[in-house]
Amino acid sequence: MPREAEPSLNERQFILQALQENLRLDGREFDQYRPLELTFGDQYGVADVTLGKTRVLAKASAEVTVPYVDRPLDGIFNIATELSPMASPAFEVGRPTETEVLLSRLLEKTVRRSGALDTESLCLVAGQKVWSVRVDVHVLSHDGNLIDAACLAVVAALRHFRKPDTSMESGILTVYTPAEREPVALSWLHSPFCVTWSYFGDEGEIALLDATWREEQVRVGSCTISLNRHGEICQIAKLGGTPVEAVTLLQCTNTALTKVKEFSSFLDKKLAEDIKRRDKGGLMAELSAENDR
Amino acid sequence: MATTAPPDATLSPLPRADGSAKYSYAGYTVTATVTGPIEAQRRDEHAYEAHVDVIVRPAAGVGGTRERHLESILQSSLSQLILVKNFPRTLIQIVLQVEATPDNDYVNTKLVQTSLNFPIIPALLQTAVLALLSAAMPMRATATSAVVAVVSQDGTSRTVADASARDIETAQSVHVLAFTSQDELLLAESEGDFTVEEWDDVYETAKRICCQSGASKAGIEMLVDDESLNGPDMRQFLRSTLETKVDADLHWK
Repeated sequence: MPREAEPSLNERQFILQALQENLRLDGREFDQYRPLELTFGDQYGVADVTLGKTRVLAKASAEVTVPYVDRPLDGIFNIATELSPMASPAFEVGRPTETEVLLSRLLEKTVRRSGALDTESLCLVAGQKVWSVRVDVHVLSHDGNLIDAACLAVVAALRHFRKPDTSMESGILTVYTPAEREPVALSWLHSPFCVTWSYFGDEGEIALLDATWREEQVRVGSCTISLNRHGEICQIAKLGGTPVEAVTLLQCTNTALTKVKEFSSFLDKKLAEDIKRRDKGGLMAELSAENDR
Repeated sequence: MATTAPPDATLSPLPRADGSAKYSYAGYTVTATVTGPIEAQRRDEHAYEAHVDVIVRPAAGVGGTRERHLESILQSSLSQLILVKNFPRTLIQIVLQVEATPDNDYVNTKLVQTSLNFPIIPALLQTAVLALLSAAMPMRATATSAVVAVVSQDGTSRTVADASARDIETAQSVHVLAFTSQDELLLAESEGDFTVEEWDDVYETAKRICCQSGASKAGIEMLVDDESLNGPDMRQFLRSTLETKVDADLHWK
């Protein structure tokens, strides 16, 4: 597969010089995201996130399987991120690139290990039957900042997702089809989001939010902070690159918190809009067989 | 039924690929990108023609043998259409991402299904052709495709054009046919029990969907009847989609 074209020396210097003069190529502020859009599909659990020219589609699905032997009480939760040549011809099928490995690890740490989804609630029969929830992340168009867009898409897809309702009666497990019973939402504990900072300059003194692909190619380092709207940090990843001052990092974390609060309210708003759209005759509350927690 | 909605397509929705298209019809939504001609890897390089690489990615789960089979069907059809001899030693990459499949509220579907999914082939082929057109890839002809089912009812069998998921479940045989814009048969895949007469019937029905053109219609009234009975006019759809796109592109702001 062909390699991704690198920016020329002129282009590189132009971007850096502009940044020194407090200007970005697309005229944004340093801590400003590109226009963010989120649409849900007709099916449950499909979220399409557009961040400028970056576009990520996440689809959640669930099926009943046998749990892992060492964790008989926990359901299975997987996030699959396979970058296809759709995003860029430099990605090859079946051969993960560094971007792909980092993306899947970061999503894993942010969403799975922060306990956003209560896996114990996915257990149906201890040691025999559990739900296996899977999120497939499809990158349709890659123009930088995949991590933030993918994380938002995954969280949105999972919160939008409804799994089939089940019941246990005298040892017999019944999984109801959507026609029999309205599917139920997952037991969701908190919504973490990623905010990625890119650093430029000799000592990483310039920090940008939501770098485009061009800017990502020129940056000297990056730092991804995952946190929820309560300010609870799930992980901070700064993988190599130029060292950055601790004070700068602290400031970055503070700004990240305000951005995460924005994401959180944005997602809440979109989810509420979608529920309203689906709830045409106002019968959703009656259809639901779910108990209040 | 989902089939009542007319097909819908967007050309070049993705900014970074050479060509892209999004197509949705009968509950299926597929996005495709085309990249090429690009440098081919040594193992794919062909001395006299371009290698057409088709990648089908399911909406959920990893691709398996089913997707590989679909890829091989599409690959052989599309290399007939693209002028591969014009680009020796290169690669033309077509990625098809399935975004949505029709869902059935009465069954809980398994994630990985092994049987070949016939009704998805027209959607994939149609999207691939639209994406190729969007990438301005030199082609011998365009193609249109349809799925036709033979349903037996009270001892007599009848062909159902543009079969819905329910028709296909109860059908005796399912056929996928594709025609080029020169009315030549490009692809014929069949599944189930059928006789030669039935196949001939299927051929005629599919040809009517794929090859009729709006201009040759007798009158408006007939056109309305045809639409509801025999499914949409695919060639006209392809043409009007492209016309709209070209109009929008050439419009001087």
